[in-house]
Amino acid sequence: MKHKKSLSIAIALSILGITAWEIYWRSQGYFPDLDDDKYLWVKTRALVEDATEDDVVIVGSSRALFNIQLGQWEKLTGIQPIQLANAGATPLPVFHDIVENSSFKGTVVVGVTPPLFFSTTFEQAPPWSRASSRSEFYKNLTYAQRLNYSLSIPLQNSLAFVSNDDEAWIDDINLKALLKTIHLPPRTDKPQEPPFRRFQDIDINRNVRMKEEMVSDTAFANSIKTVWKTLLSGDIPPPDKEATIEYFLKDAEKFTSRGGKIILLRNPSDGFFKDLESKGLPRSEFWDELVTKANVPAYHYQDYKGLSAFKTIEWSHLSAKDADQFTENFVKILLEDGLITNLKNN
Amino acid sequence: MLFNSLTFVVFLVIVLALYYSKILSWTSKKGMLLLASYLFYGLWNPPLVILLWISTMVDWTAGKKLAAEESQRKRKFWLLLSLFVNLGFLAFFKYRDFLLDNFTSAVNAYGYGYEAQPMDIILPMGISFYTFQTMSYTIDIYKRKIEPAHTFLDFALYVTFFPQLVAGPIVRAQDLITQFYEEKRANFNQFAWGTFLLTIGLFQKIVLADILLADTSDQVFSSTAILHGVDAWTGTLAFSGQIFFDFAGYSTCAIGIALMLGIVLPDNFKYPYASIGFSDFWRRWHITLSSWLRDYIYIPLGGNQHGITRMYAALIITMLLGGLWHGAAWTFVIWGALHGLYLIMERLLRSKIHIKINAINGIFLALLTYIMVNFTWVFFRAREFATAKNMIISMLFINGEGEKIVETFDVIKVFLLISLLFMCHWMMRNTSMKEVSLKVNPWILGVFWAFMVFLIVISQGSGEQFIYFQF
Repeated sequence: MKHKKSLSIAIALSILGITAWEIYWRSQGYFPDLDDDKYLWVKTRALVEDATEDDVVIVGSSRALFNIQLGQWEKLTGIQPIQLANAGATPLPVFHDIVENSSFKGTVVVGVTPPLFFSTTFEQAPPWSRASSRSEFYKNLTYAQRLNYSLSIPLQNSLAFVSNDDEAWIDDINLKALLKTIHLPPRTDKPQEPPFRRFQDIDINRNVRMKEEMVSDTAFANSIKTVWKTLLSGDIPPPDKEATIEYFLKDAEKFTSRGGKIILLRNPSDGFFKDLESKGLPRSEFWDELVTKANVPAYHYQDYKGLSAFKTIEWSHLSAKDADQFTENFVKILLEDGLITNLKNN
Repeated sequence: MLFNSLTFVVFLVIVLALYYSKILSWTSKKGMLLLASYLFYGLWNPPLVILLWISTMVDWTAGKKLAAEESQRKRKFWLLLSLFVNLGFLAFFKYRDFLLDNFTSAVNAYGYGYEAQPMDIILPMGISFYTFQTMSYTIDIYKRKIEPAHTFLDFALYVTFFPQLVAGPIVRAQDLITQFYEEKRANFNQFAWGTFLLTIGLFQKIVLADILLADTSDQVFSSTAILHGVDAWTGTLAFSGQIFFDFAGYSTCAIGIALMLGIVLPDNFKYPYASIGFSDFWRRWHITLSSWLRDYIYIPLGGNQHGITRMYAALIITMLLGGLWHGAAWTFVIWGALHGLYLIMERLLRSKIHIKINAINGIFLALLTYIMVNFTWVFFRAREFATAKNMIISMLFINGEGEKIVETFDVIKVFLLISLLFMCHWMMRNTSMKEVSLKVNPWILGVFWAFMVFLIVISQGSGEQFIYFQF
């Protein structure tokens, strides 16, 4: 009888506690949303298996994620691209995975963020492993994990306190993240990292939009700028242009020889990033060489009025509104150049 | 399928609904449990269910033949066949690359330029657990200790019973198969207690092991630097807590889930970090494995019946094999060897010094035992000997100026949590959770229970695998 009473008390208090927790975080401005995690990525990666020649796959870094709006693309062409770009990662391992482990022969848009694209081919380096680990996870995904993720989606869509993003943002609200907010006097020499807040939302199709708050709250945008500066001010290994281009060309050749099309896209950047990229990875030595060697359609934002008329919010990514326009302009250019299919015309 | 996953929640609800529905007979319920167990295992990697089937078929056939056969020669054949198949699976899936690596190193030491091609074979989850469990069945029938299972269904369910299939407890046939002969139902109190055990097991795994300790342990053991003594101790203590909460958490979940079905599984942990001495430790840590090793290796090797030298040899061989059971690496062998040496030293000391244990010297000896056990965990956790060596040097404070890599909060968190763990084990060493739960006010138990549920929910663990699945 004792345990029966305890069980009843436990059930009542658990429901009460969890409800109070949910209400509290909603009052703090949190709302139910999805996490950009490896599970969502592999769910999207699975779409490549059934993709047709008309389909478009996007690989790249965060700029390709933020700046290409899937809804806009679909509105103009009737095709929703498959978004496989990864923040803070080179697109090379994902492109390699598509070339080697699928029969896809549609169009791949490769977002080229120079500090990441030309960074490395070393498998343990973070720009590589952040992307390759997701491709590996796709290969090794179990049925249980697949089922688990499907069951988690309604919870993520209903409860604000469910937040378990792979990035481990400072404003995540799971227990581990909350414990990380406790600061005591340091005992190591490790420099304190600036707070990295989540500044985007993602949907079930992996369409990413920058939070409106980033546009209206300069302090928020500045906090992200501080993160970029800290990340890129340390000892960064020099770019490995030869190895990265060679790696890409090998895959590109295999992909195009089976009928696939590749489009290179250089997204806009400003301020600190633009300076760093133009000094450390000058266009003539990196982008131009890649385009010449790859011999595929390539779009550098500086060459197109419709792509350069935007100001990035934190030197690297476009606001949601600008991303809509950027996508529209980019898609129109591609349609004019006859590079992608427009199902709306057919 | 992992206990700490949403899939398992749905799976368990469906299994319980079918189990307690009136539409199924007891035989059908056992059939349902068997199918559910295959699903539980197969959702991880379906083809590997075939190994379970082979093991089940071979041991079922061997068990029947061993019971019916009178010829000693034929009985030996059936026993050897069972051992060959089960140990063959283990050798092939778990030890093949290890044996090949060592063979290659040995051959190349004599100047041959031999290069072996690693096969990268997937290690079937829990293979060490279910092979040991089924081997105990055939060995016990061979020794005429038990009768074979009444039906194939009872035996197949014994091999595959999902709560303990992948990480134990390793249950003997006489303790589990006999429970399948008559219909089992948990009464409400048993069901509630089973739910409590499942909750506390998940709490240990998700909150204590994965959220509070795993990162610190990983940070320290992945460091290549010579660490400051405090950092080395923080990492080792974090691992000692992590492995306990992870593994004991799994066992507690398994026992709780089985109890929700009205089936009783044996205890696997009895507050091991308050052990006084190493014999006591092995009576409290992974009890079902240590008793398996005792009954099927130590005693057949002579045990303590053939003089001191043979007893020590049997002890060290048993512990070395116990180490190897945990993983195909020399670090695990060293871990086993250290425990073997500890046990020998303890027996030597006990024959010379007689201490009457009281509360004061008891807690001191328990602390000493725990500290010594922590040195063995270094070899268990380190992937390379160089890491283990650096850690031991730092833990002995031989390095004055080691590198500090663990932040203040993590040091305090680990020392506080491990102190609480040790004190809790000390206070509980002569009692059980069930006994305590019956003594405390139901409100206190209810609030504690709700607190655990709340922390599990807000932790939102990323479904980390249990450490012992790899063994």
